Amino acid sequence: MTASIWSYSDSISVANEVASAAKGLADATGSETVAVEIGEKRGGVHGESFLLLTGPREAYNSPEVAAEAISRAAQQQKPRVILVGATRNGREVAARLAVKLKVGCLSDATKLSVEGEMLVAERSAFAGKVVAKVGVPFPAVATVKVGGYQALEGGDGGTAKLDVGPVDSLVRLLESRRKESGTVDLRKAKIIVSAGRGVKKKEDLGILQTLANEMGGALGCSRPISSDLGWLPEEHHIGLTGITVKPDLYLAVGISGQLQHVAGMKDSKVVVAINTDKDAPIFQAADYGIVGDLYQVVPAIEKALASRHN
Amino acid sequence: MKFAVCVKQAVDESELRIDSSGKPVLESAPTKMSTFDKNALEEALRHRSSQGGEVAVFLVGNPDARKTLKEALAMGADRGMIITADPLKIDSLRTAELLAAAITKAGPFDLVFCSEGSSDVYTGQVPPMLATFLGLPYVGHARKVELGGTLKAERSLEDSVEVVEARLPSVISVVSEINEPRYPTLIQIMQASKKPVEEVKADVLVPSPDESGASVISMSAQSTSRKHVMIEGSPQEAAAKLVAELEKEGLISR
Repeated sequence: MTASIWSYSDSISVANEVASAAKGLADATGSETVAVEIGEKRGGVHGESFLLLTGPREAYNSPEVAAEAISRAAQQQKPRVILVGATRNGREVAARLAVKLKVGCLSDATKLSVEGEMLVAERSAFAGKVVAKVGVPFPAVATVKVGGYQALEGGDGGTAKLDVGPVDSLVRLLESRRKESGTVDLRKAKIIVSAGRGVKKKEDLGILQTLANEMGGALGCSRPISSDLGWLPEEHHIGLTGITVKPDLYLAVGISGQLQHVAGMKDSKVVVAINTDKDAPIFQAADYGIVGDLYQVVPAIEKALASRHN
Repeated sequence: MKFAVCVKQAVDESELRIDSSGKPVLESAPTKMSTFDKNALEEALRHRSSQGGEVAVFLVGNPDARKTLKEALAMGADRGMIITADPLKIDSLRTAELLAAAITKAGPFDLVFCSEGSSDVYTGQVPPMLATFLGLPYVGHARKVELGGTLKAERSLEDSVEVVEARLPSVISVVSEINEPRYPTLIQIMQASKKPVEEVKADVLVPSPDESGASVISMSAQSTSRKHVMIEGSPQEAAAKLVAELEKEGLISR
């Protein structure tokens, strides 16, 4: 049997993206893909074939437990590559696997390929300024950038079970609660209106929310608005340490355009920037720029949009 | 309590130049303390204030990275250790292995603080690798840290917040929202040179690096294909032109 390509993510939607990345790699190397599930097979997860790891008794699959379970299975079945979705928990799973299995680890792959005896990943570095190609000998572990691959659909093959035995955790979960967030998932929004430091008061975010509503979009922000000022929940924070988005239209309003922010929105299809400072770096990352006061420009855009309906 | 903090001297991504062939000029690139490491250090300093004890800073880097270590000492850390290695030639696995060895050598510590990722490459791999090497509990992406007989923390995940508990010693990574890092005073900057810094060579600390590591094959500038159209006119004129352009792009429905 050819050594297989495994995929895993703690998130169902990301698991399908990782399965897709695995399939691309398997097609290129003539191997097969295996989607790894832990404890129980989750509905909505697609894969060509499944490996269900039983043994960890807790319902809560912490990254620590997931890594230990996958590592035990990998020591028996020797996959060629283990791909893990680069969620916050996924990064931990992959990092732990690399240490446990004594193999190299690539991260945030947006494109995977095989060059000789190496797994090669393309990833963004230096806050999106650079694309780096990084290689590691087989067998290898890699995390796959969330949103980097189109999710795999269908292809639900058979499931093999493997009992890896009980797994202990050094960290105890006391409570888990959903984060408060807006009504729209920014990562799925087609249009995003994003607020930056140019917004002077929390109440003024209403102007941008109105524009977002008018356009059928969602409201995002740069780091200062969520982290320093706390005007919006962290889930709205677009950037290197926040979420990565790629909507069809991104309107950066009063955002200076630090690299850390641009890293989170640079793959948007069309970018519009509105800023009072004509030298603001955001204009370098924009298709359309308006140098002006957002308090005048945004209402004017709303009016221009509304007048089309008449 | 004894706290360890891992910091990195990172390439200053905003100052990184791209040469005429489209390659980033890393060798001579300006460097700085990785932005988010300041949050990790700040958190350790705050817990030292409430719990008493000491804060030691660990760094893997070239000898020039002493300046980053010094900045950490100026912010308030008590002592530092630099593990010298070429940062362009070692991957996160080797970095974590070296940090684990250094922390074991200089310890014991009750809690090891890291940031969730470095501001230059942001792989976020070192903290969980470090915990795995040390065999300690790991709490990643904490936005709130409480210390008593145990470590209690709020983990900030994509869609949820987890409250978790672990015994000490532990390794923790913090998100940048957790605090606002302090600026050192002039007196602190001057005093920093008097604080003890230990230097050890990577290959002396942990000999024979294995060959399984990741290596950079190539780097190139991210190509951007933005239109850079500046729309002129009064706010009303500019808005009307913008809306017309967006309609042409098929981005807003008629």
